[in-house]
Amino acid sequence: MSSTAHHGTADAHEADPVSRALAAAHGILPDQGPIGVFIHHNTLHAFQHLPFHEGVQAGAAALGARPYLSLREFRAALAVGRVADSDVRHEIDRALGDRARELVLPGLSRGALWAELTLTDADSDDAAALAYLLRAGSARPCREPARWAACVERVARGPRLTPHDTRRLPRHRDMLVALGQADTDVAVHGELIRLSSGFLDQGQAQVSAPYREKGFLRAVSESYADGASPPRACRGVDDDMRAVFAANEPPTAVIHRMLSALGVVGDAVEPFLLATALALPGWTGMFARLQRHPEEHPDGAAVSLEEFLAVRLLLEHRAVRRACASAGLPHDWSALRHLAPPLPLRHPVLDAWLLFSLATSAQLDAAAILALTDVALATLWDEGVACTDIARRQIFQEAYERSYRTVILDAVAARRALPDDAPTGERPRGQFVFCIDEREESIRRALEEQHPGYITFGTAGFFGVAIDYMGLDDHAVAAHCPVVVTPAHEVHEQPVYTALARHELRQRVRDRWLGWERRAAVASRTLSGGAGLSFLLGPLSGLKTLARVAAPRSSLQWGQRLVSRLSPVPTTRLSAFRVDDSARIVDGGKPVGFSLDESVDRVTAVLTNLGLVRDFAPIIVFLGHGSTSLNNPHESAHDCGACGGRRGGANARVFADMANRPDVREGVRRRGIHIPNDTWFVGALHDTASDSVRYYDLETLPTSLVSAFEEVFGALEIARREDARERSRRFDDAPLDLTPDAALLHVEARSSHLAQPRPEYGHCTNAICIVGRRQLTRGLHLDRRAFLVSYDPGVDEHDTVLERILAAVGPVGAGISLEYYFSSVDNETFGCGTKLPHNVTGLIGVMNGHQSDLRTGLPRQMVEIHEPMRLLLIVDASPESLLTVASRQAEVAELVTKQWVQLVAVHPETGAMSLFQDGGFVPYHPQPMLLPVVERSPDWHMQSRAHLPPALVRSALPLSAVGPRLHHSA
Amino acid sequence: MTDSVLVVRIALALAILAPLVSVLLIGMRVLLWRRTTSERFVTAVVHSGLLVSIGAGAMVLAGYLGLIGAPVSGDIEFGDWLRLRDFRIPAVLLVDRISITIALFASVLTALVARFSRTYLHKEPGFTRFFTLLGLFATGTQLVALAGALELFFAGWELIGISSAFFIGFFHERDEPVRSSVRAFATYRFSDAGLLIATVMTFEALGSARFSALGGASTLPAMQSTAIALLFLLSAMGKSAQLPFSGWLPRAMEGPTPSSALFYGAVSIHAGLFLLLRVWPILDVSLIARTMAVIVGLSTAVYAAAVVRVHTDAKGALAHATLAQVGLILAEIGMGWTTLALAHLVCHAFLRLGQYLKAPNMIHDSHRLGHTHRRPSWLERRSPRLAARVYAASVHRLRLDDLIDAMLSPILGTARVLDRVDQRVRRALSIESGADS
Repeated sequence: MSSTAHHGTADAHEADPVSRALAAAHGILPDQGPIGVFIHHNTLHAFQHLPFHEGVQAGAAALGARPYLSLREFRAALAVGRVADSDVRHEIDRALGDRARELVLPGLSRGALWAELTLTDADSDDAAALAYLLRAGSARPCREPARWAACVERVARGPRLTPHDTRRLPRHRDMLVALGQADTDVAVHGELIRLSSGFLDQGQAQVSAPYREKGFLRAVSESYADGASPPRACRGVDDDMRAVFAANEPPTAVIHRMLSALGVVGDAVEPFLLATALALPGWTGMFARLQRHPEEHPDGAAVSLEEFLAVRLLLEHRAVRRACASAGLPHDWSALRHLAPPLPLRHPVLDAWLLFSLATSAQLDAAAILALTDVALATLWDEGVACTDIARRQIFQEAYERSYRTVILDAVAARRALPDDAPTGERPRGQFVFCIDEREESIRRALEEQHPGYITFGTAGFFGVAIDYMGLDDHAVAAHCPVVVTPAHEVHEQPVYTALARHELRQRVRDRWLGWERRAAVASRTLSGGAGLSFLLGPLSGLKTLARVAAPRSSLQWGQRLVSRLSPVPTTRLSAFRVDDSARIVDGGKPVGFSLDESVDRVTAVLTNLGLVRDFAPIIVFLGHGSTSLNNPHESAHDCGACGGRRGGANARVFADMANRPDVREGVRRRGIHIPNDTWFVGALHDTASDSVRYYDLETLPTSLVSAFEEVFGALEIARREDARERSRRFDDAPLDLTPDAALLHVEARSSHLAQPRPEYGHCTNAICIVGRRQLTRGLHLDRRAFLVSYDPGVDEHDTVLERILAAVGPVGAGISLEYYFSSVDNETFGCGTKLPHNVTGLIGVMNGHQSDLRTGLPRQMVEIHEPMRLLLIVDASPESLLTVASRQAEVAELVTKQWVQLVAVHPETGAMSLFQDGGFVPYHPQPMLLPVVERSPDWHMQSRAHLPPALVRSALPLSAVGPRLHHSA
Repeated sequence: MTDSVLVVRIALALAILAPLVSVLLIGMRVLLWRRTTSERFVTAVVHSGLLVSIGAGAMVLAGYLGLIGAPVSGDIEFGDWLRLRDFRIPAVLLVDRISITIALFASVLTALVARFSRTYLHKEPGFTRFFTLLGLFATGTQLVALAGALELFFAGWELIGISSAFFIGFFHERDEPVRSSVRAFATYRFSDAGLLIATVMTFEALGSARFSALGGASTLPAMQSTAIALLFLLSAMGKSAQLPFSGWLPRAMEGPTPSSALFYGAVSIHAGLFLLLRVWPILDVSLIARTMAVIVGLSTAVYAAAVVRVHTDAKGALAHATLAQVGLILAEIGMGWTTLALAHLVCHAFLRLGQYLKAPNMIHDSHRLGHTHRRPSWLERRSPRLAARVYAASVHRLRLDDLIDAMLSPILGTARVLDRVDQRVRRALSIESGADS
């Protein structure tokens, strides 16, 4: 991903406009691979070298998308108090600087004008609605007829407001549509979608596209040469294709030839070609992505964007010519481009309404309005045009983030001000290491509320072990680590010796069963197989569907119980450890398992990152996470991002395996961390959809620690029920008065329901990332909105740990937050719309219905309660340390200085806060505040389904912090 | 009138009216009283309508089997639907093996899909619309299944058609679903003309459009019975997407998955076949029509089976897999194997429904099952060029889309002109009305 980050900019100096357009297209097109592994990333990654607002506006303009929420949505947030007037005014002043105070009308400063335009609908563009309201007598002017009459009269005298022409008509098709002709893309896209889906198919169709090994252009042209019939709208393309095939014409030559055939020459080439590449972004982007990542297209031919565009232009050329001919228009672009229809005239009532609103806020009376000179009015209009819709939304976005930031920073400061207990020397009773994921915030809180001796930590969920992992039932290895890392080791899950016989039997049965299932799936779609299986399996399948729909949870559990009774899963171990380097290396492949030194390195590094270097509890549980759901093409998007869109259970298991070995502990001790003999690490997997916890390798648990483990196990049993309850409050179809047990059943049902489009809300609530000691946030209810990263500046001498953490967490957190940002602000363009019509295609993605563009990004059901904001990254470090780290980590520096995240430094000693804004750290002085206090979290969150401000949870706070009078009860 | 007849009469009426009443309840609440409807209210009303319909169907079955007194079968009269002097259209329902099977089968599947959709469509803006249409569809299928004469049958048939078109265009904020919906609707309109004309002709020829009167078809001149049979076949071909009308079927996948499952996996797609089973006496006497049915059915089956092989999307592949079986069943009917056809139809619908509902699970399944190794087929080994042509023809679906386009283009062209005129008029009006304010 990073190699292509600046694809657009690096090659932009090439002379050839075609290569320039192609390079730019590589950058802008969606960079999402086949959907089986979903990696959250900044949707506009190619624009990350620009400052945030410039980047989103440029990217959105290129894709025809919305860069921010609409004004209507922002104003709705204003109406419910999510943003305050004052926040917006503050941001206007910040954006305009000194210019805010200049007068644009007697009695009206520029700042006030912008505020009027931003906060109210003074510049409504809905003439029909206004006219209706005026007639009905319910509009504001009806109460001030004199002023309104003056405005109407003054506007009628001119000058008038002329809005910018923001239409973009870079292609023939756009011009044709603007002129009221039929859309040529309908036929062209239909053909392209069918051809591309066959070409890129990774195994869904029974037959692969002919000649696909020769590349897209060759395959398509040869198939036409063999006699395929052209679509009606592109008649004649078969001859063109035959010629291309016969001459073996390379794709770039075809592109050039088609451009000139369409009359696209000179300056027009680059915008035309780029717009052409962006016209079907999903499929085009998949070609571009697979060109850059051939490993994601394992058994296919080389894929290239050029070839796709060559085929596209061949089809488009014919379609355009036909359409132009039948409409009596020239198909030559140099002639057609000048035929754009004029903008429809702006209705005078809109100008009058704008003037009326501004005059009202400037307190001008009728006479003063009529006395406005033409120059004054023209200036006013210019000012109105200068405050564009996008500029206003940019201001709103800043205000929206500002109001939330203020609440969080004040709360964090207030929590920090609470006194901490003096160390008692008492040993912690259980330590729990989770992924930094904000979805784990609630379960961590639920543990901490149970006992002060339960300590939780957060670290990237691959726990420092980057592996290619193959589970017992997997068909191939898969990388379990952040996408930027390539694992150097393999780890396999293997049955223990005593279970080998049973394993072999199970394997045989399983292989045969899956073989039957595979064959039945294929056969049921054939002519004879379909008939036979209808009679054999039809009624059975009907009953099964009935059971799965009527009782999703129990029917699934019954099925699983039956399977595990018939062929029980054998006990397994991981090959996490290798004795010496020569042995057990797969031929030519990676070493299987970690050597002693490698293990010591990893255990030491993770424990240091966590700040877990003393006071070890008897049981330390490492919990990876993953998510189980059915009928969900986006299932992988709910898995662990730090494990590359996979489940972190194997990583936790490997880590625990390493950390429990006496020789590894000896090595770790030599590096200064003394893990006592009566401490045991347990690996586990937390399912964030069903809230189940699966523990690994409990057979090896020392008997002396059984009671300690049972206590910890009990705590997690309570915590996962509380977690289920806290999640359930967000689901409209779960009652708010669920008991914890009922909530667990509810989320289990969600996870096993075929019809459930929201098995969980994923990262939907992400907003904050706090890097620092948990003591400073423990007991603060953060409403599952904060990534929590453990970091102890006290054990980090040269900021090396901080650098390691930020280098991993910064891009991952920003990637998740920005993907959610874009998919929320424009769900149809950046996201993939509602899930309900999604249709899995070629195993690489989803389309809407029978044929549409490949839909990338997140579905509406995954983002519907998200508040699009840049990640608020709060780090327990001095501004100087952060600047040092940024100077060493280019990607972190880019995210921070270009403001793709909001960085706040909290000084470890003084607690002083500084916010990175406009190129440097500016101090932030939190307002002293009283936080609401509740005894336990559910008292706070089980009241409503909405986002919640922070509160203090007394049972998780240090004893000395829970005195009376400190904060008020909720 | 014995007790069992009375029970069956009431049950029959309930089976049809219960879903209709639920639709009316919701419709009135929304349209007349302008009240917002909660999901809970909508599902409660529609679910109860469907459950009552199932219960009533079960009662009819019990009456037919003689479990509640004397066995009841044959025409059940409900007076006249329409009366113009001597001309009368009877409201008559029919109780026999086929009608009960289909009525129960359709109501159970609809209820199943309704239960599925309650979760699936949660929070969707079109939630109420979806369930209202589902109720309308249920009314239509019950009417079709239980009708005793072609007139009532036609009413149900049209309800199925209109709800189908609305479901395809469910996401009407996008262009493609609307385009596809228009295609399906246009195809229905064209082929439904066949049913309408056939109904009138039957009435003319036999003096009644009751199914029980169709036995008299054997006395008709061959020309007349063949013409009627062919018109019925035409109608069935449109509804069941047989060649050359298959173009609308893949496009029908635009709707939400459960409606695709119910319509094109299970019930609606089989409605054409059911029509032929109902009017079997007429088909029986026309060798030409039966031969046509076999030819159309088999060629559709071969065509669809070829398309399935190249289809890369889950729902489109299922649509064609379904179509292949529907073609086979049509051929079975043409051969006169009506019992086999009925059994095939029901079993097949159950199989497909499950597959459709699980279609989004494709990626999950392929991870679990592992990769299927593709072997080159016999044709690919023998003649790659021919194989490539077959592939292209299958991928392009014989350009059937273009065929419908060609059919529709004069109508759509006129519509576009009218639309432009309309826009111009509206603009002129709005500017004027705005200016005088």
